[in-house]
Amino acid sequence: MDMNGEVEDNSRRVQVRFVTKLKPPLKVPPTSIAIPSNLTRLGLSTIVNNLLQAGDPDWKAEPFDFLIDGELVRMSLEKFLLAKGISAEKILEIEYIKAVAPRKEEEPSFHDDWVSAVDGSNPGFIVTGCYDGLARLWKAAGVCTHILEGHSDGVASVGVINPEGAESIVATASKDRTLRLWKLDGEEPVNNPIKIRAFKILRGHRGSVQSVAAQTSGDMICSGSWDCTINLWRTKDNTDGDLSIKKRKVNDHADESQLEGEAVSTLVGHTQCVSSVVWPQHETVYSASWDHSVRRWDVETSKDLSDIFCGKVLGCVDVGGEGSALIAAGGTSAPVFQFSSHASWVSACKWHNKSWFHLVSASYDGKVMLWDLRTAWPLAVIESHEDKVLCADWWRGDSVVSGGADSKLCISSGISAL
Amino acid sequence: MVEAHGIRHTRRAASQTSAIQETLCSVASSRSTPEPGAPFEVTEDANGNPRYIYKDIDPVYDSDDSDAPNPGNTIGDIPLSFYDSYPHIGYDINGRKIMRPAKGAALDALLDSIEVPKGWTGLTDPATGKPLQLTEEELDVLKRLTRNEAPEDGYDPYPDMVEYFSGKLEQMPLSAAPEPKRRFIPSKHEAKRVMKIVKAIREGRIQPYRPPEDIEDEDFDVKRYDIWHDETPRADHVMNIPAPKLPPPGYEESYHPPPEYIPDEAELKAWLEQDEEDRERDFLPRDHGALRKTPGYERFVKDRFERSLDLYLAPRVRRSKLNIDPESLLPKLPSPEELRPFPSHVDAILRGHQGRVRSLAFHPRGEYIASGGDDGTVRVWYTPSGYQLWQARISDQDPVSAVQWRPGTDALVLSCAAGENVFLIAPKLPIFSPFSTLDDQVDPITASRDLLNAGWQARSSSPTPNASNGLTGATTKEATATWARPPLKLQAQGVLIQLTLKTAVKVISWHRRGDYFATVSPAGQSNSVAIHTLSKHMTQLPFRRLKGLAQSCQFHPTRPIFFVATQRMIRSYDLSRQELLKTLQPGARWISSFDVHPGGDNLIVGSYDKRLLWMDLDLSTRPYKTLRYHPRAIRAVRFHHGGYPLFADASDDGSLQIFHGKVVGDLMENASIVPLKVLRGHKVEGGLGVLDVDWHPQEPWCASAGADGTVRVWIP
Repeated sequence: MDMNGEVEDNSRRVQVRFVTKLKPPLKVPPTSIAIPSNLTRLGLSTIVNNLLQAGDPDWKAEPFDFLIDGELVRMSLEKFLLAKGISAEKILEIEYIKAVAPRKEEEPSFHDDWVSAVDGSNPGFIVTGCYDGLARLWKAAGVCTHILEGHSDGVASVGVINPEGAESIVATASKDRTLRLWKLDGEEPVNNPIKIRAFKILRGHRGSVQSVAAQTSGDMICSGSWDCTINLWRTKDNTDGDLSIKKRKVNDHADESQLEGEAVSTLVGHTQCVSSVVWPQHETVYSASWDHSVRRWDVETSKDLSDIFCGKVLGCVDVGGEGSALIAAGGTSAPVFQFSSHASWVSACKWHNKSWFHLVSASYDGKVMLWDLRTAWPLAVIESHEDKVLCADWWRGDSVVSGGADSKLCISSGISAL
Repeated sequence: MVEAHGIRHTRRAASQTSAIQETLCSVASSRSTPEPGAPFEVTEDANGNPRYIYKDIDPVYDSDDSDAPNPGNTIGDIPLSFYDSYPHIGYDINGRKIMRPAKGAALDALLDSIEVPKGWTGLTDPATGKPLQLTEEELDVLKRLTRNEAPEDGYDPYPDMVEYFSGKLEQMPLSAAPEPKRRFIPSKHEAKRVMKIVKAIREGRIQPYRPPEDIEDEDFDVKRYDIWHDETPRADHVMNIPAPKLPPPGYEESYHPPPEYIPDEAELKAWLEQDEEDRERDFLPRDHGALRKTPGYERFVKDRFERSLDLYLAPRVRRSKLNIDPESLLPKLPSPEELRPFPSHVDAILRGHQGRVRSLAFHPRGEYIASGGDDGTVRVWYTPSGYQLWQARISDQDPVSAVQWRPGTDALVLSCAAGENVFLIAPKLPIFSPFSTLDDQVDPITASRDLLNAGWQARSSSPTPNASNGLTGATTKEATATWARPPLKLQAQGVLIQLTLKTAVKVISWHRRGDYFATVSPAGQSNSVAIHTLSKHMTQLPFRRLKGLAQSCQFHPTRPIFFVATQRMIRSYDLSRQELLKTLQPGARWISSFDVHPGGDNLIVGSYDKRLLWMDLDLSTRPYKTLRYHPRAIRAVRFHHGGYPLFADASDDGSLQIFHGKVVGDLMENASIVPLKVLRGHKVEGGLGVLDVDWHPQEPWCASAGADGTVRVWIP
């Protein structure tokens, strides 16, 4: 190939063939070519872009990432082969994927206080929880559609319940020791965001509620609290008779009708604040706690099935990826893989809901980082916040939303993780 | 050739004679008309007089003598420079001026430089003043001369010798004469001369050597003596050590040592890096190739000097050499990596205070940090994120000098001191963890308010407090302290009790049960230490008179013992028996703060004279360890009270130091103290750095209050 002419001849060369799972406009001819072995990711990306341009003159250059034997290339090819003990004699198959990096930074959406929680599991909107006691719904960057009003103290966590075929319910957990459920009516706001009130208040925690997560079917939610317990709650009010329905005077609104719910069951076992809960499967709840443990709970029997201990306070947990791998973070630790690049407390971590490999993490050092399991270095560092980042999540599969102590919700879009 | 020579001679002679004849003839002849052949012509000059114009002299220098110079210039040996100021450079044989040849314009010079004529040398012939041109042969000769070669081609300076006379016995000798007799008999003449010398030696006229002259003795300024002049050989004895013998030189001292003795680069580097005293030998073997290439020995004087030192001292001093590895002298300390977790970097920086942050305290469950600063505010922060949950301005002019939470998790009571006032606060905070003794329905804040307000009824029911409660029987006077309700504005914020003392309070220390707290106001003389009962709203002064200025005080974590630190001493009192237990003398000049180990048997003391002292109460009244690691005063020291063997100090140099301090239950073993980490980050402002430090009650996290107005939370 003529493009190798410009590289000096004294460097060693390796025979490679570029393969990909990407769609045809991104495919290069499967011939093997000799490239200098001192190329890094950038050099490989240039070669692939050149090859693509050769086939399609109006091709716009795009960054690619490269995988050899399922591991991302993060050094020069020569060093990589040496480190992995791969022979440079035979033809090397290099798989390329689109580089995972944010391409666009949306306008930040401003809040009145620190943004403590964010949820992007519904592609239609983002829910944020704020220290001023309000939760907000955002349709896009800077477009607030609904304000969920009612908590008497800061919102610590938000979760969206997305049952199939039914309208979405938002659950919020607050430092005022309650959880509230909010129904979203379909109406669109004209100018100002619509203020809505909770249709159900869940009382029962004796400490501030730190985390909330919904069952996949949407029937139940679980919440972790500073009182060291995890409570399970029903979202459907008419399924069981034991739920008390009462009229209640709230802030002099005599006609406001709110349901009150009680916990279905309580999972007791943690000895410190339950900082994070997830409910990935029908029967299993995972929880991370300040007592340095991650526990797996069986919902039916309310027993913990396994404990994983590590030496540090755990701040967040998520389950996902291949074979439901677990990730927990806090301080700077994770049990399966240990990623350490953040300079401070890791406040949030989330799996990509489709990809097996991609994670996002947020830290008090003001950075949001994208990770790939196939390499030990962060893929991208988003530094859109000026202060601590308190929460982060994926949204619509290609964006990262994050909220921080600078009272901003930042949306970084254009991430092609798949 | 000889014939031609002769011909030329005769011809010259002939022409000379004819020229002389011509001259003579011309002189003799009249001036009317010269005869034909005369060497001059006669013409008429301007005055009509005859004028002789001589013909050019033909010097007839057609000699074959090539050595004779061609006399172009007739000025002889006069240097040419005499004519420098004239346009001419001399005279020719006819007496005409030889004009200085034109030097040529710049263009000519340039042309000359471009087209160098053959044989051009760039020199000027001094005789003619013309450029000196040399032929190639001449140049060649000159070149050979400069190279010290024979100027001729083919000259052999070393021709083969013809051996006419040699030791070889010729087959056909040049002379057949037999060897002369003189070759075989000794020379009488020589014998005579030798005898003459022998005789002279015998008679002493010739001396075999010159007697040394004592020239140096003439220098009387310098006194010389032989230090060994009275040295007598001594008997072989242990205490009589002879001068050490120099070891014989080895290969490595050779000027041309074998290659294996020459150090390679690694050895060379090791040798250079070694301390001069630790070197095995004090020189490096070097290869000079040949003895004549050996340079002077640069260490000669030093070597001699050291040898002399050896000779003076070695016989007299028996050196006992200590072969101890310095590493083995160091105490075996575990590496800090093995002692994790400990705080190593900053997690959150809590900003909000204007001016210095004087004091801070972790809530007993760890969710909140309370801090008080120079701006007169008390602020409460949420621990992991650093969110400010609550604040109140309790004083407008006095800085908040101390902040403490009431121990126990049943209520949420904050105490703080500003000036002479101590405030007890039940702040309205979002409740994180549940309070164990409370029912679900009771608001913990209400419980805290009830706890604080209970004392009002207690005091009204028993207006005269029981005097026997006092440690030394001191009665509580009304004037000692007044318990009152603060202004309404503060009450609305949760500040429920204002306790006013006589002098400014610097330290608040709570008893573990949460009913008693002690305050220290260093300026107060007899009432510097006061113990307050929360449930009865009562104040007692335990000491009538205290030696020294009280600095700090603390309750023993488990037993009824009360520690009071004055400037130089720490005294412990038994509260139940009301007597002095121990007087500790840390040796510090001014104690700033101290803390009691949760086990109760150890103390750490920080002092303004930069020292951190570890006191073991069972061991001695003096410090067990003195740690001087700070360049500035130490402001605060604190043990971790939640199970981690850690303690920290805060200093005016803007840094905190974290130590591992493990107390072993075994009495035989002393506490092990390992410095772990220096935490830097606070800026030094106005000579003050970090003013307070506190530990999270469970986790290995600590928080520090800085003079730069920030509170920093440090985590592993």
